[in-house]
Amino acid sequence: MTLPIKFENYFRVFRDILRSIYSTTSLQEVLNVVVTKTATVMDAKGALLRILNQETQQFDVGAVYGLGNHYITKGPVSTEKLLHDPSELHKVKIITDIWHAPRVEYPQQAWDEGIRMILDVPMAIENKMRGLIRLYLTKPRTFTSDELDFLVTVAEQCACIIERVRLAENQQTHITHLATQMEKMSSLGRMAAGVAHEINNPLAGILLFSSNMSKKVDPGSSLEKGLKIIIRETLRCKSIIQGLLEFARDKPPKKVMADINDVIRTAIGVVENQFYVRHVSLERHLAQDMVKTPLDKNQVEQMFINLLLNALHAVEDHGRVSVKSMLDSEKNQIEIEIADNGCGISVENVNKIFEPFFTTRTDGTGLGLAVSYGIIENHRGNIRVSSKLGEGTRFVIDFPILDEIPGGKEDT
Amino acid sequence: MKPVSVLVIDDEQVICDACQLVLSEEGHTVTLTNTGKDGLAAIRQGTYDVVLLDMKLPDMDGMEILKAVQEEKRRLCIIVMTGYSSISNAVQAIKKGASDYLAKPFTDDELLETIGKACENK
Repeated sequence: MTLPIKFENYFRVFRDILRSIYSTTSLQEVLNVVVTKTATVMDAKGALLRILNQETQQFDVGAVYGLGNHYITKGPVSTEKLLHDPSELHKVKIITDIWHAPRVEYPQQAWDEGIRMILDVPMAIENKMRGLIRLYLTKPRTFTSDELDFLVTVAEQCACIIERVRLAENQQTHITHLATQMEKMSSLGRMAAGVAHEINNPLAGILLFSSNMSKKVDPGSSLEKGLKIIIRETLRCKSIIQGLLEFARDKPPKKVMADINDVIRTAIGVVENQFYVRHVSLERHLAQDMVKTPLDKNQVEQMFINLLLNALHAVEDHGRVSVKSMLDSEKNQIEIEIADNGCGISVENVNKIFEPFFTTRTDGTGLGLAVSYGIIENHRGNIRVSSKLGEGTRFVIDFPILDEIPGGKEDT
Repeated sequence: MKPVSVLVIDDEQVICDACQLVLSEEGHTVTLTNTGKDGLAAIRQGTYDVVLLDMKLPDMDGMEILKAVQEEKRRLCIIVMTGYSSISNAVQAIKKGASDYLAKPFTDDELLETIGKACENK
């Protein structure tokens, strides 16, 4: 007779955990719900959730319920004790003899607190351990296979959400790294220009005097030889400086005939996870009848990533961002619109957003839109912005449709 | 080529000295100035066939001198010298009326050839 009631309880716990996954952006809140609800439904004294730290390979405390502070401060647990048997990745480990289980590090303390049974539920996906939920029970009892299944399923969901957040964090690190690189390149460019000027002046003196003198010495003499070497090496310095400047300068676009929809899809693929984690919807309406036009796919993709991430930063959680591509046969151009329902840009700032180093974010480099503007110019395109504070921002970009790559051959 | 009168405006003494050596050996008359202000005064007072103008001077931008010359002595032939290894500001200078440009560092032959061409086209 008790079974139906139990299942209803388990169902409710599962529902609450799923709701928390979809309604909050904080991983910590989700983990708190998991330990609280799971411990309660299993009639456990407490629960401790540990996450595997990929770098240190140790289990750090992620969330705790019903246990004293000393459990949290116990520090990380090494992997050896928990990962020795891969076949147990998707199985609940039931510990009835806490005195002789190697995984229980402080049996005396647990016993004193009335713990008589411990359940270890591995959080694993794709055969990789992501963490562990440990439940502490005061009364030993048996479990049905459904109950154990329930625990494994909750733990797997938990592993999925942890993995998602980790992926998003990695992408964020990657994007921040790219932005820092761009900033470094831009200061390198300024420095290179200054250094070039400072060095080219003395080189000009060396080259003028040596080339003049080389005509005054006896042909074939060692003096002439030496002067020729000075001339040659000075010219080498000149080409090294030129190379440095070209490296630091914006590279010209390498255009190929491409479908802009494909480039948009790739850019969306890069940022999609971050939208998912923040529960921001990303709607796309890509023209079915799109035609190809010369594009530097890497540059244009970079531009879309910049605009999409700006939109993501502008909206609140559960906000909305849309990407549309259209074909305007009359004007012979492609139009792309990226719109959001975020905070908007003030009238004073709207004219400054394409200036290098202009940013309203503390973590921004102020180069994203400036670089994007340059990329659009490189493609003979235009970008327009309309924005209203508190309502959102809309960027419209257009590119001309050309039948062939300007300047001839396709770069590959 | 027949001897011409050249005004050099560059704050780097080594470049002034080198230009003087190379040009005077070919029979040209050379006047040296180290600042934009002195250079502009020399342009206004003297008669020169060619001005060798450095684009980056301590007191003025080469472009300002170019602008003044365009307004006051349109026929004066100006060759800009740039140390930035980039032709973009040389192109800008030519658009503003300069005859030609020399990217530093350059050889004596390049200097003489550029001056020769500029005087031919005058």
